[in-house]
Amino acid sequence: MTQKAKQIQRRNFLKSSLAVTGTAILAPTIIPSSALGRDGFVAPSERIVVGGIGIGNRGNYDLDCFLEQKDVQFVGVCDVKQSRRIAVKKKVDEKYGNVDCDMYEDFRQLLERKDVEAVLIATGPNWHATMAMQAARAGKDIYCEKPCTKNISQSLILAETIRRTARVFQAGTQRRNLPHFAFACYLARTGKLGKLKRVYAHPAGMQAMMSGWLPAETAPDKQIADWDMYLGPAAWRPFNSKTLADGFNFEKGGGLVGGGVLEWGSHCVDLCQWAVNDCPPPIEYNAPANGELMARYENGVELIFRENGWKKLGSCPVRFEGEDGWVEAGDSGKLELSSPTLLAGRSVIEIPNYPATFHVRDFLDCVRSRSQPKGNADAACNAHIACHAANIALFLNRQVKYDLAKNEFINDEAANRLRSEAIREPWRV
Amino acid sequence: MMKRFKRGCLLLSACMAMTVVSSQAAFCQVTTMEKESDLLGVLKADSPKGDKALACKRLAIYGTAESAPELAKLLTDEQLAAWARIALEAIPGAKVDETLRKATETLKGRLLVGTINSIGVRRDAGAVEVITARLKDKDFEVASAAAVALGRIGNAPATQALRTAIASSQEGVRSAVAEGCVLCAEKALADGNATLAASIYDDVRKADVPKQRVVEATRGAILARKQAGLPLLLENLRSSDKVLFQVALQTAREMAGNEVDGALATELTKASPDRAALVIQAMADRKGTVSLPAVVKAAGAGPKEVRLSAISALGRVGDSTCVAPLIAVASEQDPELIDAALTALADLPDQTISNDILAQIPKSQGKVLSVLLAVVGKRRIEATPLLVKATSDSDKSVRAAALKALGETIPADGLAVLITQVVAPTHAEDAEVAQLALKTAAVRMPDREACAAEIVKGMEKATAATKGSILDILAAVGGTNALQAMNVAAKSDDNSLKDVSTRLLGDWLTIDAAPVLLDLAKTGPADKFQLRAMKGYIRVARQFTMNPPERAAMCKNAIEAAKQPAEQKMVLEILKRYADIEMLKIAINAVKISELKEDAVQAAQAIAAKVGTEDAQKLLKEAGIATK
Repeated sequence: MTQKAKQIQRRNFLKSSLAVTGTAILAPTIIPSSALGRDGFVAPSERIVVGGIGIGNRGNYDLDCFLEQKDVQFVGVCDVKQSRRIAVKKKVDEKYGNVDCDMYEDFRQLLERKDVEAVLIATGPNWHATMAMQAARAGKDIYCEKPCTKNISQSLILAETIRRTARVFQAGTQRRNLPHFAFACYLARTGKLGKLKRVYAHPAGMQAMMSGWLPAETAPDKQIADWDMYLGPAAWRPFNSKTLADGFNFEKGGGLVGGGVLEWGSHCVDLCQWAVNDCPPPIEYNAPANGELMARYENGVELIFRENGWKKLGSCPVRFEGEDGWVEAGDSGKLELSSPTLLAGRSVIEIPNYPATFHVRDFLDCVRSRSQPKGNADAACNAHIACHAANIALFLNRQVKYDLAKNEFINDEAANRLRSEAIREPWRV
Repeated sequence: MMKRFKRGCLLLSACMAMTVVSSQAAFCQVTTMEKESDLLGVLKADSPKGDKALACKRLAIYGTAESAPELAKLLTDEQLAAWARIALEAIPGAKVDETLRKATETLKGRLLVGTINSIGVRRDAGAVEVITARLKDKDFEVASAAAVALGRIGNAPATQALRTAIASSQEGVRSAVAEGCVLCAEKALADGNATLAASIYDDVRKADVPKQRVVEATRGAILARKQAGLPLLLENLRSSDKVLFQVALQTAREMAGNEVDGALATELTKASPDRAALVIQAMADRKGTVSLPAVVKAAGAGPKEVRLSAISALGRVGDSTCVAPLIAVASEQDPELIDAALTALADLPDQTISNDILAQIPKSQGKVLSVLLAVVGKRRIEATPLLVKATSDSDKSVRAAALKALGETIPADGLAVLITQVVAPTHAEDAEVAQLALKTAAVRMPDREACAAEIVKGMEKATAATKGSILDILAAVGGTNALQAMNVAAKSDDNSLKDVSTRLLGDWLTIDAAPVLLDLAKTGPADKFQLRAMKGYIRVARQFTMNPPERAAMCKNAIEAAKQPAEQKMVLEILKRYADIEMLKIAINAVKISELKEDAVQAAQAIAAKVGTEDAQKLLKEAGIATK
């Protein structure tokens, strides 16, 4: 996060956003801070006790967002890598001025702690869904980095598990809590663009592949890096340092390695889903052509995964087109509109570089209120299914049609077999 | 549609269960069989493990039941068992089910757990007997896997086995048995058997199981009973146990029917303030049936945290009946309550509320009128005549609220109204507020040039002091007309205007200020303003995006026009930052300026090193300043 973004205090952000963009753009879950007792000093007994699992680069960023919240007490870190465990403990202990942050090699030990209310899961995507469900079954609320699932089946089961266990789940789709993206979605969702025709997402590398098997190397001591735990639900393969280093791309796609459709789609498609009012995912996905993959929702709106042709508004761009206008937004924090009248006299606060602070705050508010955060499991489920289904069309290089009631592809055995994948024992979803 | 989708999820949570029943006729083409045969060849041969693993993965797509025997052989291989199950879970047909069942007879430990998990994913009803036997396995992991697999199968025999086991199973397995029971209850509920579901949930609630299982069963027991679950909901809402209170809060949001809303409203009056604040949020999440009077009442009086929660809730779900109570709160003294109430008034979703608010304005006065005017601004209601009228009110705070609202709402064709308020305010004390309002309005005008032209025209009648403030507004607007106004002011006879305009030009945000600044630096009045203009010109050259020849030309101009070595040295820094051959030539040329010679030599050498070409070194040599 840039210093500038850091300087924007949450309350100012909320005030500004409310003032300039109006009601519907902000979460229904925002509650006055004093109503939740988190103004000023928060007594230790009132703090939300949090643990972190898989705290590498992204995890450290997320952790910073948690640590800056006064009503959070971070108590333990789990990572398969010793160096990361030590680094996080050092950071947390320095923050609190004590030596209380505990280190765990096995996340199940962290989940067994009765005092831990919520966990931050920032492992590689291979672990996300399996670990999130395990945490839910252990009674923890979950902030889980994206992509959250490896396939369609996991997406459905994750959403079911979160409902069944009455947990609060926030996918790491932090753009849902940034005002310019929120405003763009608001315009689309509320008919300000006229009847919605198309929503565009940037897949940033549109390809689908199967995962591979790299040559065996000598594995480090389990204390240094626990290869078996790193593999977790992924089918076994020999130790390889590249695979260990590449926690991000390793096995993210389950049957398929996700590629940009899943990696960026879990952000961009997620925003498109918000623009279409978080309706179920598209029912039809075409083969890619000319750098685009077109999917169609039940109501006829098109979701287009588009590689090129974006305005220069930064990474993770989205575009929504209606009969009367369009809007485009990206990570620069800026919007472009077909007409300034869409602003209706307002201006939208620009927050570049997609900070997660507000998203973490939204999650913590919901941990207290038990409301649904912006990146809740149902929303994440829909967005991820759209990405996985598009990946299947991409892999098979032909159209696939999805039955929303049955959650299966219509008369399409190959596609149906790609909806799920067995995970390694003893793990289960 | 969402409801239908969710129901689909419930019924078909394990996708592969559907795969099992899908027709494979269309898929079993000759090409697929050829692929399968090749892949089986890899499995049968003495192939590297990696090849076998990836063959399994492809068999998940292209394999048929014919692959089952060969895949089954891998289920005993600790490294390849999961790969084999990737294919076995995906391939439909009874033969695969039989293969997995058979494997459980000989497998042990983790490998057995994996196979049982796959049976659960496939929802193999024929495996209930085999799996039920495993509930008593001495290996807790095996017994737990069996319990969850039975839960996923969820038919009557599986349900019976789990209900029996929940009381008798060992402690280490009981949590999984309870989980299996909850899965069975969900299936019963989805199948329309709510009575059975409630009964299963009750079993779990009463069992000696971890609290999280009780949470799940409590939620299920409430929802399965529908309205009859209300007493259980309230029991948990009143529980001293935080976790049970939380599950009640969450479940209250999921229940249908307005009886829940009434019950929550009653509960609100009994709960402690911290809990009441949270109950209100749950009430507000039930948008269709929320009991608004109860929330309105909570907003009006009581502990502050409850009021704030209620006020913010009204902003989300309130209607026209909430306007008057919120205005009353906004008329109080507490700044946090006022802020929350104004925000809620702005957020109220019903658009007819805007008309209600406008209707109240002529009938109101004092504090209430100020609040109404503030709401007009926050809701962006266009009401220029009403607001203009209020600018003549005898109450200063009303006039200020009206002007602020005008700034937030006035359309382009009404801008003259605010310009007049700035140029000739009826009350001198309103001038500052009027200027701020004009600035707010001006920067949101779609046609900035037209806006600036109108302001410039209005400025002619203003006093010198006011002109300075208007220049500040014009700078915020930007554009050609605003720039021209700055230029005129900078060259005027009025020192205060020269001061303001050169200061604003120095901070100008677009590149078109450059020629104006250069002209002022060369020909402008007094050294002080010329110097300021030159610094502004240099800033543009340093900070703004432009092509290299443009920047080089600006640097050349600046060195020639600058009257102080300090400014010329600032230009040398720019040359170094954007080093290229043209910049090098300018630096070499600056060596001729005696006060600048030493710095220019250093700059030229630094640029040449950065450029790193022979041409650059040649230029240094020709100038006699090549490094040794």
